[in-house]
Amino acid sequence: MLACAGLLAFAEWSGAGGGGQPSVRVVRITERDFHIRAPRRIAAGRVRLEVKNDGPDLHELIVVRDPAGARLPLRTDGLTVNEDALAPEEVGSLEPGVPGSVRALTLRLRPGRYEIFCNMAGHYMSGMHAVLLVGQP
Amino acid sequence: MRAPAFTPYASRGRKPIVAILVTFALCSTASIGLSIWQTARTQHRAEVLRVAERQQTLASEYVQQVMLVHAGQQSDPDVTATIMRLSTDALLDGGAVPTVPGNDDEAELGPTTDPVVRAQLIQERRLVDDMTATGAAYLAGRPASSVPLTAGEHLAVSAPLTRLRVLSMLTADAALNTARTIVAESDSDVTNLIAMQAVLGAVGLLVSLTLALALVAATRRQTAHFRSIVDSSTDLVIVLGNGGCRHVSRSVTAMLGVSEDAVAGGGILRYLHPDDRALVRSAQTSGRAEEIVFQLLNQHGEWRTLEAHVTDLRNDRAIRGVVLNARDVTERVRLQDALVRQAYHDGLTGLANRSLFRDRLEQALARSSRTGGAVAVLILDLDGFKQVNDSLGHDAGDQLLRVVADRLTETVRATDTVARFGGDEFAVLLDQTDEALAVSVARRALARLAEPAVVAGRELEVAASIGIALHSGDGAGDELVRDADVAMYAAKDAGRGRHEVFRSEMARDPDELLGLDNELRYALARDELTVHYQPEISLSGGQIVGVEALVRWTSPTRGPVGPDVFIPVAEASGLIAALGDLVLREACGVTAGWLRDGIVGPDFVTWVNVSPKQLTMGGVQDAVDRALRSAGLPARNLGLEVTETAIMPGAAADRARVELQQLHDAGVRIAIDDFGTGFSSLAHLRHFSVDMIKVDRSFVQGVERDAKDTAITANVVALAHALGLVAVAEGIETEGQLAHMRTVGCDVGQGYLFSRPVPAAEVTAFLAAARDDAQAA
Repeated sequence: MLACAGLLAFAEWSGAGGGGQPSVRVVRITERDFHIRAPRRIAAGRVRLEVKNDGPDLHELIVVRDPAGARLPLRTDGLTVNEDALAPEEVGSLEPGVPGSVRALTLRLRPGRYEIFCNMAGHYMSGMHAVLLVGQP
Repeated sequence: MRAPAFTPYASRGRKPIVAILVTFALCSTASIGLSIWQTARTQHRAEVLRVAERQQTLASEYVQQVMLVHAGQQSDPDVTATIMRLSTDALLDGGAVPTVPGNDDEAELGPTTDPVVRAQLIQERRLVDDMTATGAAYLAGRPASSVPLTAGEHLAVSAPLTRLRVLSMLTADAALNTARTIVAESDSDVTNLIAMQAVLGAVGLLVSLTLALALVAATRRQTAHFRSIVDSSTDLVIVLGNGGCRHVSRSVTAMLGVSEDAVAGGGILRYLHPDDRALVRSAQTSGRAEEIVFQLLNQHGEWRTLEAHVTDLRNDRAIRGVVLNARDVTERVRLQDALVRQAYHDGLTGLANRSLFRDRLEQALARSSRTGGAVAVLILDLDGFKQVNDSLGHDAGDQLLRVVADRLTETVRATDTVARFGGDEFAVLLDQTDEALAVSVARRALARLAEPAVVAGRELEVAASIGIALHSGDGAGDELVRDADVAMYAAKDAGRGRHEVFRSEMARDPDELLGLDNELRYALARDELTVHYQPEISLSGGQIVGVEALVRWTSPTRGPVGPDVFIPVAEASGLIAALGDLVLREACGVTAGWLRDGIVGPDFVTWVNVSPKQLTMGGVQDAVDRALRSAGLPARNLGLEVTETAIMPGAAADRARVELQQLHDAGVRIAIDDFGTGFSSLAHLRHFSVDMIKVDRSFVQGVERDAKDTAITANVVALAHALGLVAVAEGIETEGQLAHMRTVGCDVGQGYLFSRPVPAAEVTAFLAAARDDAQAA
């Protein structure tokens, strides 16, 4: 899983380099039980999200743009976010990362309101979500 | 620099083998140990995993049980809560895991050390606590939001059941993720283990291969070393297998002058002596450890004798044959044969010697005791051999002995034994014979010997005396020889060229002959020998001009023994030198006393006899010098009487002549004794400086009867005078003889008419009286 994450990170890096776009902003995000710490506002454009998992549990990260309501739609159990319903809005995601790992996700973000969350069982309901406001650079 | 310690070859190669085995053992042990450890760990992990996963199920069950209780149903969520709490404790710090009733077995876990897993378990425990506290509050009807949350949850809902379900979910998720982490770690452990096993295997293989190569190299070197030792050795190594010769060392091919292929298999047989083939074949088939001797034909067509040690190495996989380690002993065998020959044969004539003769005699006697035939021993002694030796020299004597040996051998049958006992004594052994046959052999031998023989350019007639003794039956070989000896003496006594058969009445004491030299030896040591002196009278003036010293022996057992008896014994035994010394010492001492006392005049000469044997032995000059010096006697007062042969030219006499010449130059007088009886040559007499000639008594005593003797004495005296020498007449016993010698002008006379030989004291008195007479006159 570590190797997998490393490979992914490498792919992102090469993607970034291959794009020939030097102006990639780095946004540091920290996940822990059961909280996501991220800057509230960032500038639009190419953004590199560096996600660190402070554990102790595994955590994933899903980025959705401009969700309809104040709360994300839930599945029928009422406890986890219905990702299928959010598919059109989803702009990127990171698979669960082990405690202590740092993973990166590079996105081109247009200005708008974004929500980032962890949808592992019960994590969203326990407070692992944050709003990201992307403004004009 | 220290020289490396010597390692015996037998222990070389052990090190690599041991190292290979140790490496294998270490690698295998490590590998198996790792596997066992890993298996145990995996079993433990499986247990941990089972417990961790059970937590997930229990979290769901807890919510259901709470709902059941809440709905008034019978259930016991507290038990589940306790199990979950204790399970997380056990997972964290080790200990017994509580069982779910009727579901599973109790298990014992070790503490978790991995920090990530520990953190997850601690978080799981907090969630369990939060969940059970929330469940308890819900059942107790308390508001769920009043329960303090410890795991960092920020629950956005207030409905107690929802809160409970979220917490249950979180707990289940935490348990699931803990299990996942454990699995991931196990995977990496297995990967590590495989890598480690692979490394161990590779290291073991590499080390073993290296050592095996070293071992092969060491073995090759060792084999090469042994091969070169075998090949460079002078030992001849032959390996015989089932198909014949399997291998020969280089020394063998070098000796045979062929390649190894030529002797391989049956090829070796071509070079093996036909008589030895059976022996070698039996050694090959039996392989018995023994020494065998066989002959091989070398490249020069010469049979070489080999002595080989047989070693059976047929069970040795490296050899698979019988090994012959051979040495060339040809020279040794030849030397042994020569030594055996020397030990049993006479070096001069090649005849059997006394030892071999005795051996054959004993065998013949033993045979005769079985078959009844008689055994005859013939002892043969040459007559007058001493004269041949004395006059013609020892080389001629040896030549004559060889002629006699050849003639004797021709006379007897090939089965009879002819031996030389030493000197001129021969013996013949006749087996299966009788007296008539033995006598006929003796006759034939005497006749054959009587034929003239040419020795040293002279024609000699050889005569011999033969004694014959016969015996039948066992033993008594020595007696038989002694009897034959006695018979031989009887034959000699009876005259030359005769044979006698032993008769018991002949038996004079043979010890007399055999023991004389020993007695003489003792006599010399005990001073039984005395010197007597016989005066020599001037025939013209009547005064005593000298004395002849004559040795006398009175044996305590035999009485007086004549010089004609003991002088030959002394000569044969080598005692003559000691005897000569004694006489010289005595004579010189006595004469020096007379001179000192003024009893004799300055021209007085004491004469001492020197035998030819003494002269040929050498050392006379030294003995004379010693005697003169120790007595303080001037050389001119001593004279030596020698026989004619002593001054005859010839190899043996040369040294004697030189010694005599030097003594004469020093002033010692020389006389020729017994003149007229030997082989004198006037030419030599002229060249050799002598002072006096003594006319032999046989001529002097014949002058009254024999005209020839009268003429001879007159001529000898005339000859002496012609050469400027003094003439002495020996053995004057009558007035007539004296008158004749005076008439022919002989200068000095000696004999019983004047005086017998008398002891020193008597002659001293005699001389003193003569001096007094002369002074009175």
